[in-house]
Amino acid sequence: MSEQQVYEPRIVAFLCKWCSSAGSDLAGVSRIQYPANATPITVPCTGAISPMYIMSAFNKGADGVLVSGCHIGDCHYIEGNYLARRKMKLIMELLEFIGVEPNRFRMSWVSAAEGAKFAKVVTDFVNDLKPLGPQDKLKKAEHT
Amino acid sequence: MINIQDIRETARDMLTKGEVRAVIGYRRGSRGMLAEPTFITSAEQADELVWDPTCFHNLSLYLVHDRKFLAHIRKNAEAPVAIVAKGCDARSIVVLMQEHYFKREDVYIIGVSCEGTGVLDERKLAKHLNGAQASNVAFDGGDFVFTTAEGEKRLPAREVMADRCLECRIPFPREHNIVFGEDKTGRQLEAPFAALTRFEAQGTGARWDFWSHHFDRCIRCFACRSVCPMCYCDECVVDSITFPVTTETTAEDKANRIRWIERSAVRSENITYLMTRAMHLAGRCTDCGECERACPVNVPIRLLNNKMEREAREQFGFEPGASIGGPSLVASFLDRDPGDFIR
Repeated sequence: MSEQQVYEPRIVAFLCKWCSSAGSDLAGVSRIQYPANATPITVPCTGAISPMYIMSAFNKGADGVLVSGCHIGDCHYIEGNYLARRKMKLIMELLEFIGVEPNRFRMSWVSAAEGAKFAKVVTDFVNDLKPLGPQDKLKKAEHT
Repeated sequence: MINIQDIRETARDMLTKGEVRAVIGYRRGSRGMLAEPTFITSAEQADELVWDPTCFHNLSLYLVHDRKFLAHIRKNAEAPVAIVAKGCDARSIVVLMQEHYFKREDVYIIGVSCEGTGVLDERKLAKHLNGAQASNVAFDGGDFVFTTAEGEKRLPAREVMADRCLECRIPFPREHNIVFGEDKTGRQLEAPFAALTRFEAQGTGARWDFWSHHFDRCIRCFACRSVCPMCYCDECVVDSITFPVTTETTAEDKANRIRWIERSAVRSENITYLMTRAMHLAGRCTDCGECERACPVNVPIRLLNNKMEREAREQFGFEPGASIGGPSLVASFLDRDPGDFIR
């Protein structure tokens, strides 16, 4: 008898180079235990994230998408995260509008010093995603 | 009431004096009562112009076409173009100018107020006429008067008006050089975003059922994109036409090029296309409703754009097409933008 497979959600995490990416690094070097479900993609700034990236991640089978950047006021490019805040709010509303579960998309501010917070954000996200099951609404059908 | 002779007179006058090189307006079409866009370049043609409830097209699209054509033949505009614009169309023109697509002096806006009514929705009319064909339609106060084979038929405008006109907040072209008709701003027949609010009252599951049904039906004809004055990009994200293919390009390169959205009409791709389009129109769409009218399979595209419009308005206090000098929605921010959704 084979072992029962446990569903592990796949998260695509867009992390800004200056804060959240360093924050995730800190979580690693501090040896904080957190789920390995998130695939990090480092971007120069959250303001550089096109809503298209998020749609594309879902399209390619992500169960959840995390966007994380510097706290308001701490952006390396002064205003990138302000712009991101607007854009991400819009795409979040739109996803919810068409009937995608609100918990599939998440945004957070994690600074380079907040390794523990990054671990918590990912842990919470994974815990919220597990009851939702695999995301198949926006996922591209596999060609057979 | 707008007297069509006034519009014709204005057009004739400007063309005679050579103040404009063309007038973009509406004329009687070849299909029943419907009006069609026309481009008038000589004073004699001015009598072709019409103004009736079937003038639903957003003519600012042709300003974009004109601009693209001029760029193609590498010429500068010698004189402005005059355009007949309703409230929503004038807002589209403002957005285009806001984005520096052309300058204010390149266009002469002949504003027409929608007054007490708006434009016709053909689909609604078809239900009322029971198969009969109308050959003409005219504004008459709060009614539309149709001429059919069985004689005249009078219908209250609100029964056959386009949904967007019922909800329209500003049925008056605020940006204009000359304007005809009274400003009846605030004459709303339905609350703004009424259809959207009704739709949103449903739960997540019901919303998904609705949208997945419609996303399945999209045939990706791109009529919505072609008819939209805001979809002016030379290269749409949907079709990567500038991907250079040379003799050196390997099959692998071709296969691995970035395709954000596939062109095949399957649900996941249709969703990505329509959602991306809604995002690109956020803060730019002026709710002219052309995408939904042009859609051959009746996908309720307007609902998506409406959603973005309302979010922009309620969350960020942003009104598309309000001023030429104003910032755009996604290239600006305020300190008080909502951020409580961020952990």
